[in-house]
Amino acid sequence: MKETAIRVSSVGIRFSLNLNGGARLKSDGFKALGALFSRQKKREFWALRNIKLDIKKGEIFGVIGGNGAGKSTLLKIIAGIYPATEGEIEVRGNIAPLIELGASFNPELTGTENIFFAGSLYRIPRKVIRENFDRIVDFSELRNFINSPVKNYSSGMFLRLAFSMVIFFKPDIVLIDEVFSVGDEVFQQKSFEKILSFRTEGATILLVSHDLNLISQICGRVLVLNRGVESFLGPPEEAVKHYHHVITSREDAAIATGAEGQQAASIDSRRWGNRQVEITSVRFVDESGNAKHDFQTGDYFEAQISYLSRLKDRRPVFGVAISTVYKLLIYGPNTLEKELKGEFKEKGLVRFIIPKLPLFEGDYLFSAAAYDSSLSQAYDHHEMMYHFRVLGYGAREFGCVRIDSRWEIESA
Amino acid sequence: MKGIGRELQELFRYREFLLNLVSNELKLRYRNSALGFLWAILNPLFYLLILAVVFSKIIKFEIEHYTIFLLSGLTSWMMIQQTVTIATASIVNNQGMIKRIYVPKMAFPLSNVLARYIDHLILTLILFVFMILYHIRFTWYLLLVPLILLMHFFFSLGLSLVAAVVNIKIRDIQHIVAIIFQALFYVTPIIYSTEALPEKYRPFFILNPFYYFVESFRFPVYYSSFPPIKIFLVALFLAMFSFAAGFYIFYKKEKYFVFYLS
Repeated sequence: MKETAIRVSSVGIRFSLNLNGGARLKSDGFKALGALFSRQKKREFWALRNIKLDIKKGEIFGVIGGNGAGKSTLLKIIAGIYPATEGEIEVRGNIAPLIELGASFNPELTGTENIFFAGSLYRIPRKVIRENFDRIVDFSELRNFINSPVKNYSSGMFLRLAFSMVIFFKPDIVLIDEVFSVGDEVFQQKSFEKILSFRTEGATILLVSHDLNLISQICGRVLVLNRGVESFLGPPEEAVKHYHHVITSREDAAIATGAEGQQAASIDSRRWGNRQVEITSVRFVDESGNAKHDFQTGDYFEAQISYLSRLKDRRPVFGVAISTVYKLLIYGPNTLEKELKGEFKEKGLVRFIIPKLPLFEGDYLFSAAAYDSSLSQAYDHHEMMYHFRVLGYGAREFGCVRIDSRWEIESA
Repeated sequence: MKGIGRELQELFRYREFLLNLVSNELKLRYRNSALGFLWAILNPLFYLLILAVVFSKIIKFEIEHYTIFLLSGLTSWMMIQQTVTIATASIVNNQGMIKRIYVPKMAFPLSNVLARYIDHLILTLILFVFMILYHIRFTWYLLLVPLILLMHFFFSLGLSLVAAVVNIKIRDIQHIVAIIFQALFYVTPIIYSTEALPEKYRPFFILNPFYYFVESFRFPVYYSSFPPIKIFLVALFLAMFSFAAGFYIFYKKEKYFVFYLS
């Protein structure tokens, strides 16, 4: 399990900025030719420097950083699109780069032809493509258009086909660069779940995103890049904290781009309330109270919500919510509906217990909140700030939740 | 050398992709045209017809079986000229893919060259049909033709690789290449024979690499004999040199293409 999937050893890449625009690499051969035609002054800079990573097989690894921090460049180096100026990259297994979807499509060819064409670019044998062909087409929901040229597709259709075709070939390593803008919401969710399902098959996922929620929910480790160098590498919650620290401590924070501003807002948007009751921590534990993150279907599940209260005589209402990673609410109970047994003090622990977890394999988001009794005033709301996982046990049932049910048969 | 081995290995690993590129090119070139792939034959045929009428009926060249003479020269010429002209833009035309996904870049010029060669093999077959029509003897020397075609292949592949690399940095190359070929067409003995030239100009032919290919191809077909050994050896050398140099330059530069594409 501890096998290395991607090793990045002291990698750096140097670009030279031409005054007339495009970023270009300085290479001696072209320099001579270039000198004939242009005598521009060039400014060189390292887009990445001294990056060291050892990403294990099966890991979900996140990369965050401001605009121009080198996130996408790192992905492109790993994908083999850019050459590293210094250092070494070692990749074990087939890479599915979801960097720019549809890059391998020829607009003149039909959907069918493009599946085979792009398949050969990922070195998928024809036979395997043929076997998976129907599944790809069904997943993309483009059955009726599959024999028309791709140039007639809408951009959404185009991306759907590109995405479907990549994910059906069981890649060892998936590189994702902000691609979850594929198609409509339903398709996005479907795609996302599909990608997460790779992990159970041992695939390694490298995710670059501006979506800090997403990153902290699904990644095991996160790299924070700041202007081309490693600024932090470690657990997602700390990485996100570090990232905010980097962003806010930057002298030029004032001129931070809009995108970064939105990220800062997005972490705040996960937590709100007047803090008269403050939720200080949420942890998941097993029956004996030991911290647990990965559950099995049918396991005992407990969420321990620690709080501090400044309320005098009133009791708050506690609520939790379990959602899919795609933010679909599965269940959201609260203590109004089911009475909270026990004494309420100014400091304590609320335990939310599911005796037999009815969830199937997948990643789930957990929200916890404390409200006043009318549910109109939030004391402290943690929206989808926590994450747990349910591991597969090879069930032949499908979906995300087990619904109590039975089958009967009658002969007519 | 190790790197070059790896390059070839990489092309081999991507062979299905390479074949798809070739078939796309052939498929798309004639898609939506009523006569389809027939144009691959009709195109050079009409070109031949025009030249044949002009130079045997209007301007009267005293050359026996002029159509065969012309067609053999033209086949050799187009094999190189068309291929290199197309392949020069191969990297620039596929920059969208090169910038977004890993792909062995040599596949692009190589697929252009291969696709053109399929056309030219058809052209060679037409040449044989004409030889039957004109009652030209089929001799054992025709067995040389595959080897000479192979020399054409490596020569034009080498030129294509170099031209494609230079074209990335200086996009004017694709236009310059077209003009150079236009000029060379007239100083290569395609429509006329070497003997027709005044003695004092003949040394210039020696400097024209295409001369060696046209002559090498024409001798077994038209004269039913082995090409003059000097001409044949120079062509062989040019083919090997062009391929080796083109391959090496391309191999050395391909990593950096991505920085020059926009």
